[in-house]
Amino acid sequence: MEGRLTKLALKGDQRAFAELVELYKDKIYHLAYRMLNNRHEAEDIVQETFLRVYRNLDRYDDKQKFSTWIYRIGTNLCIDRLRKRRPTYSLDAEMNDQEGIDGYSMIPSDNVTPETELLLSETQRLIYEAIDSLPVKYRSVMILRYLQDLSLQEISDVLDMPVTTIKTRVHRGREFLRKKLEPKM
Amino acid sequence: MECKLAVSMMHDYLDDDLPELQQRELKEHLLSCTDCRAKFKELEQTDMLMFSLMHQSPVASEDLVSRIMNSLPQVKKERAFVTWIKRHPALSAASVFILVMLMSSVTFWNQDRQLVVRGTDLEQVVIQGNTVIVPSGKTISGDLTVENGKTQVYGEVDGNVTVIDGSLYQASTAHISGQVKSIDQAVSWLWYKVTNMFSEVAYR
Ligand SMILES: [Zn+2]
Repeated sequence: MEGRLTKLALKGDQRAFAELVELYKDKIYHLAYRMLNNRHEAEDIVQETFLRVYRNLDRYDDKQKFSTWIYRIGTNLCIDRLRKRRPTYSLDAEMNDQEGIDGYSMIPSDNVTPETELLLSETQRLIYEAIDSLPVKYRSVMILRYLQDLSLQEISDVLDMPVTTIKTRVHRGREFLRKKLEPKM
Repeated sequence: MECKLAVSMMHDYLDDDLPELQQRELKEHLLSCTDCRAKFKELEQTDMLMFSLMHQSPVASEDLVSRIMNSLPQVKKERAFVTWIKRHPALSAASVFILVMLMSSVTFWNQDRQLVVRGTDLEQVVIQGNTVIVPSGKTISGDLTVENGKTQVYGEVDGNVTVIDGSLYQASTAHISGQVKSIDQAVSWLWYKVTNMFSEVAYR
């Protein structure tokens, strides 16, 4: 269906493009929100993602899944934004250095109101904090794996990395989250 | 089986990436090793908690879709024409040209050298010789098209600026809200004429 919609959109059919937006806006928003932990920035990313999709419709190869293509654009935009926001650091060193990682988890989220605070159970908040404290390269992989329910092969297509790399990152990311969540289990 | 290998297999299992034979080997190890059993339980729970997050989707602003749609560049006219050309491959540039000659009174591009200024709000424009000036502090509402002349923008244009066979200078104070197009070649000039002609027909 997405293939048909992209073809119509390429011919200038705004309604077809609006349909694509409807189909993917929540997914991209969810992805960006978990990556950046900020509503405004997440909406910016959604907007920028669709703008890029629109500009590059003629380059879309429909042998590829549309979801893979749009996730790649969205994920790369999030990664870029995170790189600009935070200083670079050695990820693998941080993985073994609990204190360094805890430092990042202390970055306050800008949008937790008292109401949402009440809604989020202690465990859920702990998960969000744990995801937030994951170094970027693990975070994107884990978010694609769990929030978007992608297979290892699909994640490797999105991030343009070998499946073996993705596998290692999922394992390490999961191990990291397990350690964070362990006290609650 | 070593515990280290068992842990690696646990992850593969959770990723639906462990062949059945090895699943049985893992199971055997788990039955005999309490440490690994505890670890597997934790990993499985982590996995479940992560998946449960999928049902906690944050909600984007209601106007996000309209914001996205409004932010798209307005290049449809051109695009539609290019697609139209692509769908009629038999129609070469030459036959398009003949079509233009037949359908309208447009003159051949290099025979038409006099300054032509078109726009919806030309009172604000200053013309000196073959130079068309948008003075600073002035705002032109609507598109501005200049053929065979120099264009200098110091003020604002609330629309597209198209320069055909001429130069365009934009001062630092200039602000053009629409697209800026410069057309110099006979072929693109022709395409421009044709698109314009078609959109005129369409809007009539
Ligand atoms: Zn063991």
